[in-house]
Amino acid sequence: MNPFESNVSRNMQGSFNSPDTHKYSVILPTYNERKNLPVIIWLLAKTFNENNLSWEVIVVDDNSPDGTQEVALQLAKVYGEDKIILKPRAGKLGLGTAYIHGLSFVNGDFVIIMDADFSHHPKFIPQFIRLQKAHNLDIVTGTRYRATSKPASSDARPGGVHGWDFKRKLVSRGANFLADTVLNPGVSDLTGSFRLYRLPVLRHIITETVSKGYVFQMEMMVRARALGYTVGEVPITFVDRIFGDSKLGANEIVSYAKGIWVLFTTV
Amino acid sequence: MARAHRVALTAFIITVAYFLTLFDFLSVPLLDAAYAEQLLPVLPWWFLVSFGSYCLWSIGLGLVTLRECPEAYDELVGEIAEAKNELRTRGVTVD
Ligand SMILES: Nc1nc2c(ncn2[C@@H]2O[C@H](COP(=O)(O)OP(=O)(O)OP(=O)(O)O)[C@@H](O)[C@H]2O)c(=O)[nH]1
Ligand SMILES: [Mg+2]
Repeated sequence: MNPFESNVSRNMQGSFNSPDTHKYSVILPTYNERKNLPVIIWLLAKTFNENNLSWEVIVVDDNSPDGTQEVALQLAKVYGEDKIILKPRAGKLGLGTAYIHGLSFVNGDFVIIMDADFSHHPKFIPQFIRLQKAHNLDIVTGTRYRATSKPASSDARPGGVHGWDFKRKLVSRGANFLADTVLNPGVSDLTGSFRLYRLPVLRHIITETVSKGYVFQMEMMVRARALGYTVGEVPITFVDRIFGDSKLGANEIVSYAKGIWVLFTTV
Repeated sequence: MARAHRVALTAFIITVAYFLTLFDFLSVPLLDAAYAEQLLPVLPWWFLVSFGSYCLWSIGLGLVTLRECPEAYDELVGEIAEAKNELRTRGVTVD
């Protein structure tokens, strides 16, 4: 047996009990997430505090009509204005530009990108960080489709989804298979958006990324690979949004296929 | 060179090699000419069918191995309740 693949050696890597001197900035784009925002912030605060990590959350709200911003300000009072940083925009300008907007206010050296609707649970962040440290990775991405992390680690538990019907599963699997076959990005979950980036790496990739919507997340991975950045994967469980509406229609599928084509012919 | 160009280039080289062999400008190594003559015309169809089954197999396998995680949902529901209770006492509007 390869001794480097034993659990003892895996656990040794990246999990010494030494203080983590990095600061982790979460960019949280929100649109009508008044119900979800307080809970996700609570979960983030709990996770970071239990793991002695220094953190901040940058909430990029696109002037949500449901009053997400008032809740964000209340949360800033509770957790501190250095922790919960509200950086709103005047109107709904889309997710891709929300990250770019958020990026210009980041004080940390690692950036975590996630959704505010609980489909991405903060409990996985410490695993992302451990994997990043163990292998000095540039990017760690969450995957719903793997049972083990890549590179292997002993604390990863199988990923999965909850609340998806057969059609949603088929579309998601088909979409990832298509992208995987055409673009060969080497990442199992291309449409997910729960990721940890080194700050300069995210800055670099995002300036080169041109597409919008679901394709945006995929393009980030394809470009990361083309630029030679190292990417690790941690299995995550994905619970479909409990509050608020979900949208996945024929339009999304067509624009996704077009996006794959554009990437195929340009990257 | 984008990935499309690399793929197109590879496909072009393979197609040219295939037609050269089909029309006897090149010979198939390690294979009797009589067998090669029978095999070559059906090779593209074999390739097409194989690729089709590979696609169906991959997507099917992906669907079957996609795990359901009801335990993550149950845990989350508990945490949401806990979070709301705590935040309410600290003056955050939750509903
Ligand atoms: N700032 C900003 N945030 C957005 C915008 N659109 C979506 N978001 C946020 O981005 C995250 C992901 O959006 P979702 O609507 O959950 O998209 P999804 O996960 O692809 O789809 P469903 O969860 O199935 O609806 C959530 O936190 C949203 O609040 C936008 O235009 N601007
Ligand atoms: Mg979502």
